[in-house]
Amino acid sequence: MWALEQLWIPRRASVFSDTPVALVVGLGSAWFAAASLANAGWLPSAVVEVVALTATHGALLAVALAWGAADAGVRLPQGSAAITVVLIAAGATAGALHEWGGLALMATPLWLAGLAFRGRLRGLGLGRGNSVRPIVVGGIIGALLGGHLLFSASQTLGYPLRAESWLIVLTRWTYDLGANVISAELFFRGALFNRLQRRWSFGAAAALATALSLIRYVSDPLLPGVVEVVVGALFYITVLGGINCWLLWWSGSLAPGLLSSALFFLAYRLLAVG
Amino acid sequence: MRELTAVAATLVGATLLTTYAEPETALLLRHLYLVPVIVAALRFGLIGGGMTAATAVLLDAPRVFATIERDGLTQPAAEHLITFVLLIGAGALVGRLAAAAHSQRQRFETLLAVQRALTEEAPLEVALQRVRACLAARLGVGAIGLIVRQDDRVAVAGGGPLVAGSLAAEVLETGRPQFVPDVGGGARPRRAFVAPLLAAGEPIGALAVEREGELTAAERGAIATLAAHCGLALENARLASRQRRFTEELAERIASATATKSAFVAVASHELRTPLTALLGFSELLAKRTFETAEVQRMSDVMNRETERLVRIVDDFLDLSRIERGFELRLSRSRVDVAAAVASAVEVLRRAGSHELVVECEDALPAVDADADALDRILKNLVSNAMKYSPPGTAVRVAARARDGAGVEFSVHDAGRGIPPEALPHVFEPYYRAPGVGSARGAGLGLAVVKSLIDAHGGVIDLESEPGRGTRVTFVIPASLP
Repeated sequence: MWALEQLWIPRRASVFSDTPVALVVGLGSAWFAAASLANAGWLPSAVVEVVALTATHGALLAVALAWGAADAGVRLPQGSAAITVVLIAAGATAGALHEWGGLALMATPLWLAGLAFRGRLRGLGLGRGNSVRPIVVGGIIGALLGGHLLFSASQTLGYPLRAESWLIVLTRWTYDLGANVISAELFFRGALFNRLQRRWSFGAAAALATALSLIRYVSDPLLPGVVEVVVGALFYITVLGGINCWLLWWSGSLAPGLLSSALFFLAYRLLAVG
Repeated sequence: MRELTAVAATLVGATLLTTYAEPETALLLRHLYLVPVIVAALRFGLIGGGMTAATAVLLDAPRVFATIERDGLTQPAAEHLITFVLLIGAGALVGRLAAAAHSQRQRFETLLAVQRALTEEAPLEVALQRVRACLAARLGVGAIGLIVRQDDRVAVAGGGPLVAGSLAAEVLETGRPQFVPDVGGGARPRRAFVAPLLAAGEPIGALAVEREGELTAAERGAIATLAAHCGLALENARLASRQRRFTEELAERIASATATKSAFVAVASHELRTPLTALLGFSELLAKRTFETAEVQRMSDVMNRETERLVRIVDDFLDLSRIERGFELRLSRSRVDVAAAVASAVEVLRRAGSHELVVECEDALPAVDADADALDRILKNLVSNAMKYSPPGTAVRVAARARDGAGVEFSVHDAGRGIPPEALPHVFEPYYRAPGVGSARGAGLGLAVVKSLIDAHGGVIDLESEPGRGTRVTFVIPASLP
């Protein structure tokens, strides 16, 4: 039993230790510079969008990778964070250049899946040998929440389904799978919530991680600025965030949360919002 | 599972009823959601009540929002929204109360079980294992360990040896509970909490629990309270066990004292009766008949010897009585010539003629600082003992030699039957008679009185014996100042 048999050394490291500050600051600076240049009319707005997408998701993933590696005591391959950022930038650029280009964003989850397969992401709750039951539960929760969104939005607010434009659904969902969902889940659940729950109670950790993810989504320029959509986003992101925290806490794996988010965002993309 | 199915079925039923009923009836029927919410709250606590209420709201919300979208925030719609708040409030409140009541009941049951586990007397390790089994069955934690400090040792149940610098060792040292949100190394956080077991405000041990997952502040508070109660229960059990042992020991001592007293009374009455019988017999003979002068002389010698024996026995009783009552023996100390004292004591006993008494005193022995009468009694006691327990005709050696700076060492050595090793630690105890002394007379007072007299002189006595080979008693009396 640990409390009797192991030496107790009180934890000293802060929640923000091992953050790749230089990379985060660099990405933020690039975004600021691109936005400034676009404001001055020297850069097209599409470039700013690519830089913003890369900076946001790249920074979240880079921090998540660094924290996860430090917490699990594993070494990531040299330049993993940079590779992740480059892959997101490439996917975003391809997406901006061609309507099928967005599929290139899938390189990021594939690269991360490779890392997870080699056991380098176990600090984030990703690895081999996930048990099926939590993944099934995650799938059911995602489907139920997505189904509820579809039903209430279409019945209550009258948003139609995008059944006829499946290409748009696919490309936007690819963005979710390749950047949005993985960056949010890896950072807010796998890294942040995981760190917080090892210091605080589940409730406090889940509340803070969900509140921060809420801020990230509400401040996202891609979210339509319609009140009912913002209110809906607040509601569903809160529920989804809380449930995903619980799934990670319950199963010790990030996979169920990734699946529930992916299914929920598929439902969201099926709606003709934005 | 049955309750869960019933809750789910009621939720679905309420949704179907409110969906297909007339709008006015549906407004009333929405209160049906309270049934599964309260049932779930009572059965599954705060989480069950809250989640069922949230599900009810999710199921009912699309219809309300559609109404609001269509007609605006009308009074029925507002009432419907208030019902949502009520549902969540009722689920949370009832769930919290039910959880609190459940936890309180569990705590009392656990305490009772712990008390029951400690009612049977058992070694500390066994008692700890019983308490640990009780707690493990009721606390629902992954791992549980109990440690209790007793005298110089630490008993552990439910874990390996206690490591210095561990969380439990820290709690045992400081008496303050400690919580570690994650012990590290796992996919899920593993919480560890250690609470002190307190008795009279002092930590006598610690209760350590570990769980993968949540260990709430309320649970930790309950565990700390339980640990305090366990500490008291363990302390009570320990005191009760100690009291029982003390009572048993006391009863044994009383029984032993009673047996000793009975044996003593038997021996003492025999010891007193023997000289008295001789005195009575000879005095009656002298009163009734006329004897030759030589015969009268012999009888008076016998009567004199028996009277001396009687006086010695009574003196021994009196000395022992004084010592047992805590009084010091009164000595009248002076410079005593050792060779003369030995010769005088041996001379009296030599008259019996049964043994060869050999005196071996060094030349020019220093005088000792002693009570002459007491020294005489010591020597006579030891020599007569040696004669009593060795076969007639054998030699009894009485020696005296100077010990540098310490005084004079006397020794009395016989070639008798010796004393069994198991009896050696008791030979100086009053009324003690070594087993196998046979018909030898004695009240078990001699050596006890000898030791007391030597102690009173500031001397030391030692006894060595080998069964079948004889016994040597050595004692030292301090030398007199020049």
